Amino acid sequence: MFDDLWFERLAGMGEGSDERAPARLKSKVYSAAIMRMAGSAPLLDLKETKNSGGHLCVFEHSVALLPMGTAIRSMNPCRVCHARVLGERMEHAPIFWPGCPYSEFHNG
Amino acid sequence: MPGLAGEIPPPAEDSGEQELVAAILRNDRKAAARFVAAHIDAIYTYARQRLLPRADLVEDTVQEVFLAALGGLRHFQGQSSLRTWLIGIARHKIEDVYRRRLRAPESLDDTAQLDRDPPDAAPMVDEQLDTTRAREKARSVIARLPERYGLILLWRYWEQRSTRDIAQAVGVTEKSVERMLARARARFKQLWLEE
Repeated sequence: MFDDLWFERLAGMGEGSDERAPARLKSKVYSAAIMRMAGSAPLLDLKETKNSGGHLCVFEHSVALLPMGTAIRSMNPCRVCHARVLGERMEHAPIFWPGCPYSEFHNG
Repeated sequence: MPGLAGEIPPPAEDSGEQELVAAILRNDRKAAARFVAAHIDAIYTYARQRLLPRADLVEDTVQEVFLAALGGLRHFQGQSSLRTWLIGIARHKIEDVYRRRLRAPESLDDTAQLDRDPPDAAPMVDEQLDTTRAREKARSVIARLPERYGLILLWRYWEQRSTRDIAQAVGVTEKSVERMLARARARFKQLWLEE
């Protein structure tokens, strides 16, 4: 007993269903992903993001409306947003902005 | 002359995935959020179950998987689903952890406890427990094992890698892997019977 076959049978019992990743981890991974994307090329202009069906949060919406160039609209306002900070540090962060990915990770 | 179509593997089953990939490659931040939200639970579960003895590494590994995926997304051909592709990346990242940890010198404490010989009798898995309980018990026992024992059992039996593959990856002899596996099984047995 407790030989190869025994362990193979135990391992073969599968893994069960998916667990939910902590919302804080989702937030951190998303932030890191955006940092990586923004580091390689400008993010898609917020106006274009909206036109392709992306839901903007209230801050992104304001930036998209600003009469400024694409460079501004390609910036990442989440970098200076309290929602990101809370989202990455708390498990049940009180973020309720519609269109905010951090809010969706925590309340989705 | 036959066309090329027959030689090309079928595309990913979901054209929505191709759109998502295209959007991320346009640097669309909302697409990145959808990508993370759609797959992170599966990758987290996969990593957690394979890094039980080093649960502290799970979150870093998950993040590394997504960053590696973003870096390689341009080469994603849609020959499998995004989920399968991500799991493949996760498998490599986790094997890197196994390899690094198993290359570390073995602690004397790990072998000393083997002196306490466990009883011989061990019922077959399904005679003693239902599947869910056996899975949970196995996870609990692996989590209590010395790190290298837990990792080598996971690598050998859960990842189904041969002792030869493990030996090559770690840079030791197959005999050495077999010895470590024997010790790991013995410690597992002790803890399993104690639980």
